[in-house]
Amino acid sequence: MAENFDLVVVGSGPGGYIAAVRASQLGFRTAIVERERLGGVCLNWGCIPTKALLRGAELLHQLKLGAQFGIQVENSSIDLARLVGHSRGVADKLSGGIAWLMRKHNVTVIEGNARVTGKCRLEVDTDKGTTTIDAPHIVLATGAHARALPGIPFDGELVWSAREAMTPKALPQKLLIIGAGAIGVEFASLYNDLGSEVTLVEALPRILPVEDADVSAFVDKAFRARGMTIHTGAKVEGVRPEGNGVSATVQLSGETRELQFDRVILAVGIGGNLEGLGLEALGVKLDRGFIATDEYCRTNVVGLYAIGDIAGPPWLAHKASHEAVICVEKIAGISGVKPLVKSNVPGCTYCRPQVASVGLTESAARENGRAIRVGRFDLAANGKALAIGEASGFVKTVFDASTGELLGAHMTGPEVTEQIQGFALARGMEATEAELKHAIFPHPTLSEAMHESVLDAWGEALNH
Amino acid sequence: MSGQIQTITMPKWGMEMTEGLVGDWYVAVGAEVSEGDDLVDVETSKIVNTVTATASGVLQRIIASPGDNLPVGAVLGVLAPAGTAEADIEAFVGQFGGAAEPAPAPAEVPAAAPAPAAAPVVQAVAEPAPEVTVAPAPAANGGLAALADGPDDSAVAASPVARRLAAHYGVNLNNITASGLHGRVSKADLESAVAAAGGSLLTPSPASGKAVAQDDSAVAATPVARRLAAEMGINLHDCRSSGSRGRVSKADVEARAALNGKASIQPAEKAESAPVPAFEEKPLSGMRKTIAARLQQSKQTAPHFRVQVDAQLDALMALRKALNDAHSEAKISVNDFIIKACASALVRVPEVNVQFDGEQVRYFADADIAVAVALDDGLITPIVRGANKKGLVAISNEVRDLATRAKLGRLQPEEFQGGTFSVSNLGMFGVKQFDAIINPPQCAILAVGAGEPRPVWRDGSWQAATVVSLSLSSDHRIIDGAVAARFMAALRGFLEEPGTMLG
Repeated sequence: MAENFDLVVVGSGPGGYIAAVRASQLGFRTAIVERERLGGVCLNWGCIPTKALLRGAELLHQLKLGAQFGIQVENSSIDLARLVGHSRGVADKLSGGIAWLMRKHNVTVIEGNARVTGKCRLEVDTDKGTTTIDAPHIVLATGAHARALPGIPFDGELVWSAREAMTPKALPQKLLIIGAGAIGVEFASLYNDLGSEVTLVEALPRILPVEDADVSAFVDKAFRARGMTIHTGAKVEGVRPEGNGVSATVQLSGETRELQFDRVILAVGIGGNLEGLGLEALGVKLDRGFIATDEYCRTNVVGLYAIGDIAGPPWLAHKASHEAVICVEKIAGISGVKPLVKSNVPGCTYCRPQVASVGLTESAARENGRAIRVGRFDLAANGKALAIGEASGFVKTVFDASTGELLGAHMTGPEVTEQIQGFALARGMEATEAELKHAIFPHPTLSEAMHESVLDAWGEALNH
Repeated sequence: MSGQIQTITMPKWGMEMTEGLVGDWYVAVGAEVSEGDDLVDVETSKIVNTVTATASGVLQRIIASPGDNLPVGAVLGVLAPAGTAEADIEAFVGQFGGAAEPAPAPAEVPAAAPAPAAAPVVQAVAEPAPEVTVAPAPAANGGLAALADGPDDSAVAASPVARRLAAHYGVNLNNITASGLHGRVSKADLESAVAAAGGSLLTPSPASGKAVAQDDSAVAATPVARRLAAEMGINLHDCRSSGSRGRVSKADVEARAALNGKASIQPAEKAESAPVPAFEEKPLSGMRKTIAARLQQSKQTAPHFRVQVDAQLDALMALRKALNDAHSEAKISVNDFIIKACASALVRVPEVNVQFDGEQVRYFADADIAVAVALDDGLITPIVRGANKKGLVAISNEVRDLATRAKLGRLQPEEFQGGTFSVSNLGMFGVKQFDAIINPPQCAILAVGAGEPRPVWRDGSWQAATVVSLSLSSDHRIIDGAVAARFMAALRGFLEEPGTMLG
């Protein structure tokens, strides 16, 4: 006999668990299926544990800067096991928090592997056998996994995915990172601070290729100044074990070179967790390896929805959570539910210097063919940045010259990830330069640079 | 309608609603509300719904208390723009009190605030009442009234806050001089116009209503006091601290409780010999009461008779599979076919597609089919309108959406009121056959059992077929036996040869 629910969520990451909570709030009898740990990649193997590690690396770095504040620290060093322990502890705590949330909202948690066996029907393989679940609404939120490259499979030993990279037992002396998107760049920053000799290889012409070109160039320069080796427009063609490490074949501006490393982190992108879900038999439409959905997260199959990473880019936790709410509220018939506006989703990279952005890059805005205004303000002229000893970075804003619409904002420097929401709010409200100019930014803060950047776009910057 | 004192009345959600049970109020007297804000729950036949504000203003009076069962049109409360003079509200309440309760002379009324118990009723059909609900607010906000008129202001450029405030004050944005960014009407523009017209501005409401519960875990208190406070729902911040070392003592908590009008916790009476009761008593919910009243009335007034047929579903099952294989966007159920077949049969036998109010019969061209959906406590019958004009995929997806929202209590009244025919299906529970009670003012309801393999005599031998038993209950005052039989014959024909529904 099948179990019945009004709504079942598959996957308990930041998309899935939010969908379950919202569904329960609205009165759905809700279940959530998870095959691993509650919380998904985000808080077990992604966003959160890496932030814990990066904080440790940042502290180590700060101690080295202590001298300018009169702090003498002799021989500061880091105990890798304890740093990883802290990271895992945070992940455990948060996963427990999700379990508590599910109890609080009366969501039935089913541990097992789910597959869709028909319209509105799931089978879940659990410890106690296979359960059939019938529900008129099934929300897939199974996330994504790191993609390997042909000829460079993950082995968990020499070639790491993010998961191994955040639980190292020993610090690799020489580390190759393939892929300079957000994940690759964060690990490059982390391992460089921890003391590894980092080489970053990117196939595209610049690191952080989705960010504004100025930001990419700034981070590239900062990374090189920290001693990293960066090869852009380069390809790693193969990796083979050699001694206790690997030998990598790298294509560098037309010439092929053999380079030796202790470990490799592969961060070239992700693929949707589709396998074993039974989507093919059901005829679920895909789009470039992810589930195709409409603006309210509906697939082409009745009662089947997809949110978060598995529903395509941008692959960000906050996008998944936002889609979760849209999807469930639409099913419940709440009026005024608005589709996700992808250009309003901020993106953050937690390397040093941090990177945060929302909306169009300058070049993308120019390609649209409309006249634009661009403002830029460097943190070198920001009092707070000087005071805290991190006066490096900038804020760039891109406006439509005639409508005043804030088309995009691009920031790099200390704590910019905490500030980008200001610009995200402005975009969400369709604010123009006028509202931003009239907003009062507190002094002394790093965020004053946001204000000055807006003023600069209109040639009115006051502090440079 | 804003800019005036107005009544909040018991709504009429559909033809059959005559009264409603007042539930909890979402706002307190003196609170500001915006158009569309939830005001008060009303439990009607079938659902709990929320009465929303039709204009922005301040809730000036609450007249109906939770638990009051009031007829449609009864006054629940009074809404008026912020700054309306108290005297005007009194006069308004007096005026409408006079209209509704003819007895007392107008002069005597104003002093006494209307007693919640005897909520005056404004009959929806009563003669002089209507102007009451739209009575303009006299005098006090006369100045603001001058700002109220004007052409549609939805295209006037205004900041989001200014627009919301305009709705609150009942001001038309065309009357405001814009000086904000981009020539928009700003909050300041609006407020200065309101002030210039003599209206009184919103003032920040003094921590009215509930104070945010403050975390009192850091307040020094004796362990007993802490536990007692938790039990009584008292915040330790609200208690004096007369105990040793400045701690809140048990006596302090009890003193606070007395102030709040709560009795201190009495030692539980020893239940020495009282036997554990073998039952639990619960009052009927509004929905249960409605089901009880309506179905009792139906069974007592409508002479039910039943006509039963069995239909073979093998062709239908094959078509269903073919359709479902061809349409990933739908999961058509047997019940969806039955709804479609009923709609087709109702078109063929329109004498069944009727409503009867005891005096007149209404004949409908389209089949609005009510589908019974079981809820945790009761049932509701959302309606597939014009099912005769819809395809199976559309019917199926509509039923899915209606059923989802029915379970969440999110149906709109018009989605479950009316209907020309009902279908009740207990097949999923393995029921072979049953009879249903007519849902008035409809005159017929179909009860559907489970499709199951049964032996049938066909072509000179016993063969297995998927068979469903159908029972039609009809109101004999309107529908005669032969009509019911013709309907069932048509229904069986459509189910056994589903292709004929396409014609």
